[in-house]
Amino acid sequence: MNSGGSSATVEVEHLTKIYRVHKRPPGLAAAMKSLLRRRYEEVRAVDDLSLSIAPGERVGFLGPNGAGKTTTLKVLSGLLHPTAGKVRVAGHVPQERQAAFLKRITLVMGQKQQLLWDLPPSETFALNRAVYDIPRVQFEETLEELTRLLEIGEVVGKPTRQLSLGERMKCELAAALLHRPEVLFLDEPTIGLDVSMQLTVREFVRRYNERFGATVMLTSHYMDDVAALCPRVVVIDQGKLRYDGGLAELVRTRRPEKRAVVGFERPVVRAELEESLGGMGRVVEHSDGKAVIQVRQSDLKAALAMVLARFPVADLTVEDPPLEEVMRELFAGEKPR
Amino acid sequence: MRRYLRLFFVQLRTSLTTGMQYRWEFLIDGLMALFWAAMALLPLWVLAGTGREVEGWTHPEMIVVLGWFVVLKGLLDGAVNPSLMAVVEHIRKGTLDFVLLKPADAQFLVSTARFDPWKMVDLPAGGAILVYAFSLLGRAPDAAHIAAALLLLVAASLVLYSLWILVVSAAFFVVRLDNLAFLFMSIYDFARWPVSIFKGAMRLVFTFVIPLAIMTTYPARALLGKLAPAVVAVVFLGAIGFMIVARLVWVRAIGRYTSASS
Repeated sequence: MNSGGSSATVEVEHLTKIYRVHKRPPGLAAAMKSLLRRRYEEVRAVDDLSLSIAPGERVGFLGPNGAGKTTTLKVLSGLLHPTAGKVRVAGHVPQERQAAFLKRITLVMGQKQQLLWDLPPSETFALNRAVYDIPRVQFEETLEELTRLLEIGEVVGKPTRQLSLGERMKCELAAALLHRPEVLFLDEPTIGLDVSMQLTVREFVRRYNERFGATVMLTSHYMDDVAALCPRVVVIDQGKLRYDGGLAELVRTRRPEKRAVVGFERPVVRAELEESLGGMGRVVEHSDGKAVIQVRQSDLKAALAMVLARFPVADLTVEDPPLEEVMRELFAGEKPR
Repeated sequence: MRRYLRLFFVQLRTSLTTGMQYRWEFLIDGLMALFWAAMALLPLWVLAGTGREVEGWTHPEMIVVLGWFVVLKGLLDGAVNPSLMAVVEHIRKGTLDFVLLKPADAQFLVSTARFDPWKMVDLPAGGAILVYAFSLLGRAPDAAHIAAALLLLVAASLVLYSLWILVVSAAFFVVRLDNLAFLFMSIYDFARWPVSIFKGAMRLVFTFVIPLAIMTTYPARALLGKLAPAVVAVVFLGAIGFMIVARLVWVRAIGRYTSASS
């Protein structure tokens, strides 16, 4: 996708992160034994990961739970030291946690909050202004803009504990972006939010990226987030890089089949439909008046012609298989092509 | 430096705002603080009843020690404990990450994060005890002695704070720390008495391992004019050394920190 080199915002070379975890079998006896002698096991959270992200790129970071996404983001933001490998972000070595570096990045964690619980978000904003040493004029400008983009004008004055999850997340984003960071690490920023709130957050991230030219690296459980926001995706599984490239390409190479959703004027027997399709595809869903047919790209035309000719079609749409399914297949254990 | 001063005031303001966020809690906290400050005066009666000398300390002199104890307790409960309890909470919940992401010294940020203004009521209460003690003695303390005592108060605060930083550094390794904090507070309670009351091993522990002697006995002796200036200087330098050690341990602990979730 990009050539890397010294102009990259994020550069990761052969990053490996190993945790030492204390392990013991279940049970009281084992628990007592482990008081005397502890057995440690090494967990490779990230394993020889290399990637490079250009300034202004929006990259989706995908992988099943425990794949090493959060660990990678924490290494990139300087919270964890790499066990091996080289990491550079915005020209700095993150683990040194230099003030100049920390002022240029931000990490938003959907599962944790920095807002002061008992106070209105505006108090956290004021605190962050002091911590980041933001000049007043710039602070007010940024806050005004963030308030407008996130539509949080009415909630910043209410105590955080009284806000809804979505309102809180929007204020979290504002608190994390007051210093106008150039690099955004967003770890599950839409977790637990309803669909419309997800859309708002997603739209906001895109606007911030376009407005400030910021580089965005985003992990999410909701494939829609990634599909809507990130032209490029990085997929990791068990700490290893599985795919790095365009999202559309990933869908195409992993699942070259298309889905045709067909509505019928009157009920159609499944077996009949399958028989007519022959080797071209298969029926993945079927109810009285509706069927979903999965067909290879190359057979799509022929299959549709057949269906239209032989069955009482009322309605027909063709779509890509859902991203979730592409992912499931990618993580099923086979090697990426 | 100026930036950190400003940061300090912003944090202080935030603490005060938080304290006043809940009206009833604020009032009840205030009443409780006054009650406990009054309770701190209670041992005075007990001591007044006996009126005898203990290990070379006359009754009013022991009250001077008690006065310092209450003053220092006010500083500890009001300015040191709340912040450091908050760090322990941060470590457990994994939100210390947010502190470490900030472009300011993490130790400074966590040490100034929370103040409990009501606990400061102990400061004037301790002052009142000291005034009472000297009225019993029938004299006013020397200006030089007051200065020495104040210097030792600063030293004592540094030592207490450093001890706390060491305890908190341990939290990076132990994670569950509530009990350790409780133990610390219980031990501090011994500082109510002049250290010479304790015998043998206890005395060694309270002088060198947990320097309670430095915290209350020495300032009391300084105020009474019973401590050589050289000792004041040594204690002060010792306290600064102790703070440097605590800082080094903290930096190492941060280096080893890996947050609660992976």
